[in-house]
Amino acid sequence: MLIQTIYRYLYILIFLSGLTMGTAGHVFAQATDTTATDTTDNEPAKKKIQAGGHQLCLGVDILHPVMNQYTSNRTSYEFEVHYFLKNEFYGVAEGGWGGSTVNYPDLQYNTTNDFVRLGFNKSILTRENPNDWDMMFMGMRLAYTTVRRSAGTYTVIDSLWGSSSGSSSAKNFGALWAELTGGMRVELVKGLMAGWNLRGKFMLNGRFFKDLAPLNIAGYGRGDKNTAFDFNVYVSYAIRWRKAQTPPAKKSGTSDGASPQAKTGRVSSDKPSKVSDTSKSQK
Amino acid sequence: MTKYNKYLFLFVSALCILGWEACTQDRQPCLTPKIASLNIKSVRITSRIDTTPIDTALPAAFFVAMTAKGDKGVIYPPQSAFTISLSSVTDSCQWAVTADTAAGNKYDTLTFYYKRQLQFISNACGFAYFYDLSKVNTTHNFIDSLRVTNTSVTNNVNTNHLQVFIHPNFP
Repeated sequence: MLIQTIYRYLYILIFLSGLTMGTAGHVFAQATDTTATDTTDNEPAKKKIQAGGHQLCLGVDILHPVMNQYTSNRTSYEFEVHYFLKNEFYGVAEGGWGGSTVNYPDLQYNTTNDFVRLGFNKSILTRENPNDWDMMFMGMRLAYTTVRRSAGTYTVIDSLWGSSSGSSSAKNFGALWAELTGGMRVELVKGLMAGWNLRGKFMLNGRFFKDLAPLNIAGYGRGDKNTAFDFNVYVSYAIRWRKAQTPPAKKSGTSDGASPQAKTGRVSSDKPSKVSDTSKSQK
Repeated sequence: MTKYNKYLFLFVSALCILGWEACTQDRQPCLTPKIASLNIKSVRITSRIDTTPIDTALPAAFFVAMTAKGDKGVIYPPQSAFTISLSSVTDSCQWAVTADTAAGNKYDTLTFYYKRQLQFISNACGFAYFYDLSKVNTTHNFIDSLRVTNTSVTNNVNTNHLQVFIHPNFP
């Protein structure tokens, strides 16, 4: 129990260290930007580097399938999909399935469930270049699952008065929980990413599990606890594509495809149009 | 991301995997009481004017559970607080009590009537029975009367359920 407590606090420490590192890096980058602006008034402020395109990432959790081999009473499989939105926000959808088998001398039942999580990640690392997709992130999720529990049998062991046995009928539960998560993703080779998530989970409707809480809810953890910690290791494949380029407006010519602004610019050639002004300033 | 951060990532990953593995056990240890305990205080009223019950230690109390498989008892050292359990297989049970087994005092019989409630504690502990006391009867050798102070008998060891008033003439 002491070891569990130590590791629980170790998790929290690592999580907070990660946040501190990420935030420090972000603040340092901002401070560097500010200094640059203050000291070199003539130079333009350093622009925040934007992503060089779109990214859709498909990932599989490789930790839980390994752990399934070492635990006889629970299984869990998870995958994730995240898509880059903008301003370093990623929309995330996660899902999975699993179950548990309880075969104790005084308690026997089994459960199965599949789950879905929706939420977002916010990367707190500054990009080194537009194609830098490594990230350290924080995020939130809202998750839902339906747990199917089989009929259970139990024995109340009483050495003085005598033991008694009984059964509990099969039941389905809906479980809703919220998650705070943090983690990292790094690109190992082009398109292939790996990383981990540390998760703190908070059951929102735990009262439904008062009569016989599932030993393990895949995607959540122990069903008889209102808070849970979990850890995932993901291997992901990133699909990337460039932003759609808008064709530059033609300044001359009479093709039908010319934009109205371009036509306007061509007709009033004496006075430069707003379009031509903008293009100059961009240069 | 710099090379340094990639190594940090691998290190933290390995650390967390080890921690996660350490926390994964087949069955967690049960850390809460599995048997609901009924807590008894032996008290006495010393005067007719002041009716405040005063805790009274019994010299060598002997509590005997009268079970279907025979009587099973426990002798307590001098004290005024006692803990017994109720039967989880029937809706009533009996305990025989004597204040001083060494002195050969007569026994009184406590008969408990209650409703059983099956309670899931946790996967580590399994199920237990909690009880809702309906009535408690007693004989009157050294016990004068009873007062039920709490009818809900659970695994909370700090709740007092029954006051046993010792007869004023009992030494």
